[in-house]
Amino acid sequence: MISYLGRFFIEHTLWLKGVINLFIDILYWTFIGPFLGKFSRRESIFHQMIFVGICSIVIVFFVDLFTGIVLAMQSAYILEKMGAKLYVASLVSVSLCRELGPVLTALVVAGRAGSAIAAELGTMKVTEQIEALETMAINPVRFLAVPRFLALVIMLPALTVLGDLAGIFGGFLIGTRSMNINPDLYMQIAFKYLELKDINTGLLKAFVFGIIIALVACYEGLNTKGGAEGVGRATTRSVVISFILIIAADCFLTAIFYFS
Amino acid sequence: MSIKECQGQSIVSLRNVTKSFQGRKVIDDVSLDVVCGETFVIMGCSGSGKSTLLRHMTGAICPDEGSVLIKDKNIADISYNELDEVKKTFGMSFQYSALLDSLTVEENVALPLREHTKLADEIIEIIIKMKLSLVGMRGFEHYYPSEISGGMRKRVSLARAIALDPDIVFYDEPTSGLDPVVGGITDKLIKDLSVKLMITSVVVTHDMHSVFKIADRIAMIHEGRIIEIGTPDEIKNSQNPFVHQFINGNPDGPINLFEEQGEPEQEAVL
Repeated sequence: MISYLGRFFIEHTLWLKGVINLFIDILYWTFIGPFLGKFSRRESIFHQMIFVGICSIVIVFFVDLFTGIVLAMQSAYILEKMGAKLYVASLVSVSLCRELGPVLTALVVAGRAGSAIAAELGTMKVTEQIEALETMAINPVRFLAVPRFLALVIMLPALTVLGDLAGIFGGFLIGTRSMNINPDLYMQIAFKYLELKDINTGLLKAFVFGIIIALVACYEGLNTKGGAEGVGRATTRSVVISFILIIAADCFLTAIFYFS
Repeated sequence: MSIKECQGQSIVSLRNVTKSFQGRKVIDDVSLDVVCGETFVIMGCSGSGKSTLLRHMTGAICPDEGSVLIKDKNIADISYNELDEVKKTFGMSFQYSALLDSLTVEENVALPLREHTKLADEIIEIIIKMKLSLVGMRGFEHYYPSEISGGMRKRVSLARAIALDPDIVFYDEPTSGLDPVVGGITDKLIKDLSVKLMITSVVVTHDMHSVFKIADRIAMIHEGRIIEIGTPDEIKNSQNPFVHQFINGNPDGPINLFEEQGEPEQEAVL
């Protein structure tokens, strides 16, 4: 039992150390590398932004739209009893912008793009492509991890804004069609209690979640061992660890915003 | 250092290199010199440590003990930036080609040029055409690695290895998995590049047809140790029973694969 706990502790400490080292490397190649004439390829960054961001628009839209619809129906159930069904609008908008929008978008992107990044880098690792880059004196972190990292930290907040809007639109559909609230009034109430701080909180969360997804996916991909089985394991680990860390970071960040 | 300046000097030197993985010694006190301009072949059975030895020469693996000198620089003991500068002077052709799947043939060959030179795109295009012509792959510029055959991929890998006009090219099993004709073409290519571009070649292989066609000198490695070094004629006439068994492909002899499985597995069978 003690040996199991010891091994568990050592393995996770080493994992954390590896991820932190990767983060430092990425920051180095993002901010210091360009001054040394070592740029990440612009086309590669745009390509990743399209893959991570543009290609995720449809799934993020539908996930947040349906969440907005469900949230509106569930909250209407209680608020109607209290005679405050008009406030469904603000409940939906505030809870989406502060909490559900960033978390759901991050989970969707971790499942779609994070897993793909881990699988792609993992396959590159087991087919010697990473070693080939190193032999050509091309740093794999600069060449592969930095574009994916930048794409995620830029596109995840952008997707979150879109997700928030989709969710608010879902609530709007239920509020105006099913609950017969005047559309103008609905929108007025929706934004009345929504402060800029709420939106910023959500965007900051999305930024942190982007960092988490990029680091976990790139680390798992670049450290894949074994053949096809190793790639499968890296992909699964990337999704599972990202999900856990996203929820944990959300809990932590919410606590900070709540108590500060 | 140009080929004329270094003629006859050692360009790659291994001094008492030892490496262990999980307590098992894979490279055991290996010392050898590759002379500038020659084609040096390292041969041995699968698992004898020849690919690991090659990875020491490319800086992919650091030795536990000993030194790896490339042009008199100990690459096991230099900074990351210095190692990068040394890496730019050599190329490597990988066993499974290791082309980047997401890039076309043209982009793969252009990669080292775009990363390490400030050449204009027009110049790079001309260089790519030249390098692809050398390996007989003109006309395939816009294909992705998944759209061409294994032999073609190996040739593109070779074109990428020579893109920066290196002084040394390392080949890991250049003819494995190829049909005899493509294997023969690859051998001729290695020899041509060596002669025409004055490149020092270090080739790891266990393909005996290939070894005697391309080698200026041959080293035989067994269980992580160099057991014989010599010219092709010296190796052919070697009295060493390991070398004799290997080059003739005899199943019986001192190289006994069944003994190498170790005690734990024998116990498991019992």
